[in-house]
Amino acid sequence: MRYIALLLPALFAALFVYALCKKVRLYDCFTEGVKGALPLAMSLFPYLAAVLILSELFEQSGLSDALTSLISPALSLVGVPPELARLILIKPFSGSGATAVLSDLLAVYGADSYVGRCACVAFGSSETVFYISAVYFAGSRRIRARPVVIALAANFAGVVLGCFLCRFL
Amino acid sequence: MNAIFAAVFLAAAVIFLLDDPAGFLPAMLAGGERAAALTLTLLASYCVWLGFFEVLQKSGAADALSRRLSPLSGAVFRSGDGAALSLAAQNLAANMLGLPGAPTPLGVAATKKFLAAKNRYAADMLFVLNATSLQLLPTTVIALRAAAGAQNAADILLPTLLSTLFTTALGAGLVFLTRKRCDT
Repeated sequence: MRYIALLLPALFAALFVYALCKKVRLYDCFTEGVKGALPLAMSLFPYLAAVLILSELFEQSGLSDALTSLISPALSLVGVPPELARLILIKPFSGSGATAVLSDLLAVYGADSYVGRCACVAFGSSETVFYISAVYFAGSRRIRARPVVIALAANFAGVVLGCFLCRFL
Repeated sequence: MNAIFAAVFLAAAVIFLLDDPAGFLPAMLAGGERAAALTLTLLASYCVWLGFFEVLQKSGAADALSRRLSPLSGAVFRSGDGAALSLAAQNLAANMLGLPGAPTPLGVAATKKFLAAKNRYAADMLFVLNATSLQLLPTTVIALRAAAGAQNAADILLPTLLSTLFTTALGAGLVFLTRKRCDT
């Protein structure tokens, strides 16, 4: 893992040396870029607020628990440990929520158990679909269902495959 | 999104009404608080990455990179818009490297350009590629496993890599197969 940490400083150093060779005025250029940071954060803020309030309501109302017990039997049918239901439900809404669920699962079942390994693969191979759709399509008038449904379906198929692979990898 | 928002919101509100009326507002406020905190975190990473990307752009490195990738990215996104393709290619590269916070500004900018050119296919493709996890090294998972005392924290790498490649391929394939229905 130590080599991964080298990536970032090396990337920045390489680019800055290259830019200096190309006679780029680094300070002026860097600040010009950062100018866009506040407007970008501001334009995304309303969508983040809506998705995160929704994910909090979903969790705290008990809706998430109700759906969890509802989908658990279906998960066992396709070979996914039912303990993963909460993780699979929360991941599309919130990355930090899913991180909390994953560390709970690892604490309860152990990192090297079958459930623990499946949870890790499920977490690592899926994405926060609703969150990304809210942010990426923030400018468009309405978010169309097709790409969101495709992403959710692909993520779920990945969870099923990941749990299958965990049996012998 | 409007349908999901309305359905989840109403269902949650009814459950709170019957079960725990006093818990409703705190739950929403907790969401708002997370949004405020997350926006600040994102703002911090935009400060770093937008500066970096501007240098990447001005030095000509971004153009050199995207020119090399343009036959590939042009085919993936079915677009001839050089500026948008360059942003999209940088977004995918940042995703694969797992640079935290870096893909979002690039992806948002590329999506805006694709949609402005009425190229919904490209916008959908970029979104699905982003929403099916391209990250080659699941650093968060490895850190959590190490913290939970795993024998070998990185032993989930292979199954994770295989299933994330599968999700991305499946997602991209589905976008391609349903391309005639881009309007729905």
